Parts: sequence; C-alpha cells; structure tokens
Amino acid sequence: MVASLLIAIPFLGAFAVPLFGLVSKRLSHYVPALALLANLIISIVLIPQVMSEPIIVSIGGFTPPLCINLVVGPLGLLLAILISLVGLLVAVYGVNYIQEEPREKYHMLLLCLLAGATGMVLTGDIFNLFVFFEILSLSSYALTAYNKDRGGTEAAIKYLIQGSIGSAFILIAIALLYGLFGTLNMADIASMVGGADSTFLFISLALLIAGFGIEAAIFPLNAWLPDAHSSAPSSVSATLSGIAIETGAYAVARVTYTVFNADGIMTLIAVMGVITLLIGEMSAFRQKEDIKRLLAYSSIGQMGLILFAFGISTQSGVFAALFQLVSHTLAKSLLFLAVGYMIYRVGSKKLAAFSGLGRRMPVSSFVFTMAAFSLIGLPPFAGFMSKFSVVRAALELKDPMFLWFVVLMLIATVIEAGYFFRIIQNMFFKQGNNIEGVKEAPLSCLVPIGILAVLIVVIGIYPQLVSGMLKAAAQGLVERAAYIQYVLGVP
Amino acid sequence: MEILYNSMYYVGAAALILIGLYVILVKSNLIKVIIGIHLLDTGVNVLLVSVGYIKGGKAPIFTGTSLGPTQFVDPIPQALVLTAIVIGVGVVALALSIAIKLHEHYGTLDLRRIKELKW
Repeated sequence: MVASLLIAIPFLGAFAVPLFGLVSKRLSHYVPALALLANLIISIVLIPQVMSEPIIVSIGGFTPPLCINLVVGPLGLLLAILISLVGLLVAVYGVNYIQEEPREKYHMLLLCLLAGATGMVLTGDIFNLFVFFEILSLSSYALTAYNKDRGGTEAAIKYLIQGSIGSAFILIAIALLYGLFGTLNMADIASMVGGADSTFLFISLALLIAGFGIEAAIFPLNAWLPDAHSSAPSSVSATLSGIAIETGAYAVARVTYTVFNADGIMTLIAVMGVITLLIGEMSAFRQKEDIKRLLAYSSIGQMGLILFAFGISTQSGVFAALFQLVSHTLAKSLLFLAVGYMIYRVGSKKLAAFSGLGRRMPVSSFVFTMAAFSLIGLPPFAGFMSKFSVVRAALELKDPMFLWFVVLMLIATVIEAGYFFRIIQNMFFKQGNNIEGVKEAPLSCLVPIGILAVLIVVIGIYPQLVSGMLKAAAQGLVERAAYIQYVLGVP
Repeated sequence: MEILYNSMYYVGAAALILIGLYVILVKSNLIKVIIGIHLLDTGVNVLLVSVGYIKGGKAPIFTGTSLGPTQFVDPIPQALVLTAIVIGVGVVALALSIAIKLHEHYGTLDLRRIKELKW
C-alpha cells in the first residue's frame, strides 16, 4: 500500500496548499517541495523491493482484472523517481522564482501536474491512464497561461485545442477497446489482444498513438510545443520539457509494447522518430531570436531520438531509449532553470542579449554549458553514454535501414552541436553591452541546477549507477508475458 | 436502413464526433472552436455509453425481481462517462477563461488574428 502514497501525497499536498495559505502565505510555498521530498524518499526506499518483484496494488480488495490497480514495476518506479526528483528541484526553484500572484495557485497546479505524471507511469488500468493524462494536461494548460501575458495565453489556447482533440482520440480508442474486450485492465487486454479483430485493433492503436503523440510532440503533432514551452514561466517550461512530454513517450511505449504487442508498427515509430529528430534540430538551428524557443525545438529533437530508440524494439534499444529519456530530463530541466534567471537578470529572451554573460553569471553559465554538452553527447557527461547506447543498439540490428537512420541521427547531433556552440561562444567569448549590473542567480536557483549538473556528470562517469535499474525497466517493457503474469497471477 | 436503425447510437456518436472535429478545424472564432471541443467530447461520451447499451435494458440494480444479467445495461461505461463529463467540463471552463484573457490582450476572438508566436 506504500506505493499508492506516491500518488496520494502530491494530491493531498495540492489541496493542502491553500489551507496552509490561510495560516501563512510564506509557509504554503514550501508545501510542494516537502511533498515531493517525501515522494522521492518513498520511491527510493521501494527500489530493492521492486527490483525483485513488481508491486501490484489492488484498490478495493478485488483481484486485478476486476479492480483498479497500480503496477509499480522497475519502469514505473524509475520514472516516478525521476518525476519526484526533477519536481522537487523545480519546486525549490519556484519558491523564489515565481513572483506573479496568486502564487498558491502555481504551487497547487505544479503538484497536480506531478501527481498526474506519477499516476500515469504507475497505473495498470487504461482508463486511469487517460484520467491521469487529463490531470497532467489540464494543469499544464493552466500553468502555460500562468503569467497571463499575450504570449502565454495564446500558447495555452493552442495547446488546449490540440490537447483536447488528442484526449478525445484516446477516449474513442478506450471505448473501442472496451467494446472488444469488456475490460479496462491493461494486462487483461494484453492477454486477449492476440485473438481480436485486427481492423479494430489497428484503429484503436492509431488513435492512442495519435492522442499520446500530441503530448509527446511526435512530428506532425508538435505544433503546440515551441509556443507553450517558450511562453510559459521557465520553471514550468522545465517541468513540461523534463516530465510532461516524457510521460507522453512512456504512454506510447507502454501501449505499443505491453498492450498491443505491435511489432509491425515499430519501424514506423523509428521513422517518425528520425523525422521528428531532424525537424526539431533543424528548426532549433535556424532559431536566432528566442533562446527558450530554441530549447523547446531541441526538446522536440530529443523526443525524436527517444522515439527512434523505442522503435529499435530490442531490449537494448528500449534500454537506450530509457537512458536517453533520463539524460534528456536532467539536462533539459537544468537548461530551462538556468535560462530562467538569465532571462530575468538580463531582461530579454533574445540570444544576442546573452553576450558576455559568462563573466557576470559564471556558475549559471558554467552549468548551462555542461548541460548543453550533455545534450550534444560529449563525454564525460550522461548524454554521451545514452547517445552511445542508442547508436550501439541500432547497429546491433545489422539492418541497412537502421544504419542510415544512425547516419541521419549523427547529422542531427552535428546540427545540435552547431546551435549550442553558438550560444556558448556568445556567452563566454563575446563582449556584452548593458550587462554591467547583472548579478549571479540566487541560491534557490544555484542549488537545484548544481544538483542536476552533479547528477549529469556522475551518471556520465559511472553509468552503472543507473544501468541496473534501466535494464530491469527495459526488460519489464519488452517481456509482456511476465507483466501479464504478475498482474493477473496466472501463467 | 435496417443497419442504420440497429446501430443508431453509433451513427449518432460518429456524427457528433465528426461535426465537432469539423467545427474545430474550420471555424476561426474561438467560441465556436470551444463549442466544437464540447461537441467532440459529447460524441465520445455517447459512443462510450452506447458500447454498454442493450436495447430495452434496465439499470443494473438487483432488487430481487426476476431480471437476469442479460437484461441489464453495462454500468462500467456509464461510470467512465461520468468521469469523462467532469473532465470535459474542466477543459471547457479553462478554455473559456483563457478566451477571456485573450480578448483582453488582443481585443478579438478571431484565431486568424491571434498569431504573434510564429513557427
């Protein structure tokens, strides 16, 4: 039952924020950090138990196909740890960074978003996946518009319209699946999927991929992302880029691997991934004005890379995809958090305004550089190890098509290096004007980004710290028979 | 006509979904688009309910009468629809409140004129 606290604590925290606000406004701003710290501790304590056997939490005392259940396997727990870690750091950062009133609502929505994300990765019921997905998306629409400025509201309405079409698609797919199988439990559907009418299965799979693909920003569905991620407050951008789109990718992977066992569609997913990667990186390269928009396009590119690795569909491919997901989450949330205070101090989002910032904000600029190097894939950072494992998994297939995909992926890496080096050169080797009064970011920003930077270096040097868990997670996703057996309890 | 009559609810649901999608894709007034989102949601809800519907079925409450399980409609889709309706109301309420803010900033609800953020 401890595992269900992972979802309960953020929700309780979210509704406790206004109550604490009645007592003391200052106190209520620390509630998210406390709730997520508790989550982080619980999820780390659960690691040894989950690594030996997944925990199944059945709600209401019925056995799994009848009840709503949570499946805390290695994959779910890995993502839950990642969500609570990044969420904790964002919450600490947000205490000082968010100055726009009403601040309690920001903290509430942030907790709801993180609770939705945690629920998505832990649930074993496809309708609950939809409900948690809606909680996550509703709070991210609201957080995008949090500053109530021109850009934010426009981006939020774009995000909302596209997102609600996506969730309608998901619900249609769930209705079709329920009509076919009469059950909503993912393991139960997975055990019956082999004998069903393939037309209906194909339609519902396509609807699910389209629906979750909007959140995961797969290429033709990514139009909302650059607007939303660049117009939201920077701490929100870090959460959206580091957590929300990753859970979208998780949902796509869970549906294709576990529920549908859709081997035939994997090559298509790899192709979509490579296209997303190239489009994202090229759009980022030609972005010369707005630094947050550049980072948002870079997120699209990285999502493409993760999707490509999922499309390899071997166990080492899934391992590489999850590794890339972890390293992207750490690096991209660091970049957005660091950029947040840079924009605040300089007073402009323009790339040109960042010239010479390396002297004025040395720590922020230094960790920004580290995260950028990690995203490009330079050793000794985490990004090198993850990109290396993607390349290795793709080459292990010995398929000439995937060889070409790797070539395209390396071209995209060169493009990525091009725009990140341009920013870094701008920061350190150019003289800036009008930045005399600029001070270093406060401690509430430096501590979170410092922790993220340390993690990036440590994982880059000692990948065995995470690789055990990543291997178990990859195994849990690829071996669907074991998943079904754990949940339903029958061989 | 026979098939159409027998699957009347599915046809209605599909029609609502398609009308909703059409409105979202074609109309440029934000309020109309929000109405389209709501139509789409309603269509999906009708689809969900009709998945569990049996012609002439009763509510699944066991009161000791001689009704067998085949005469009851499936209660699970109805529970799902309740949840989905609540979510849909939340989305529409948020969309309308963002629309108010948009009107304050831009002085219009015409989506063709709200395009400061460029690809």
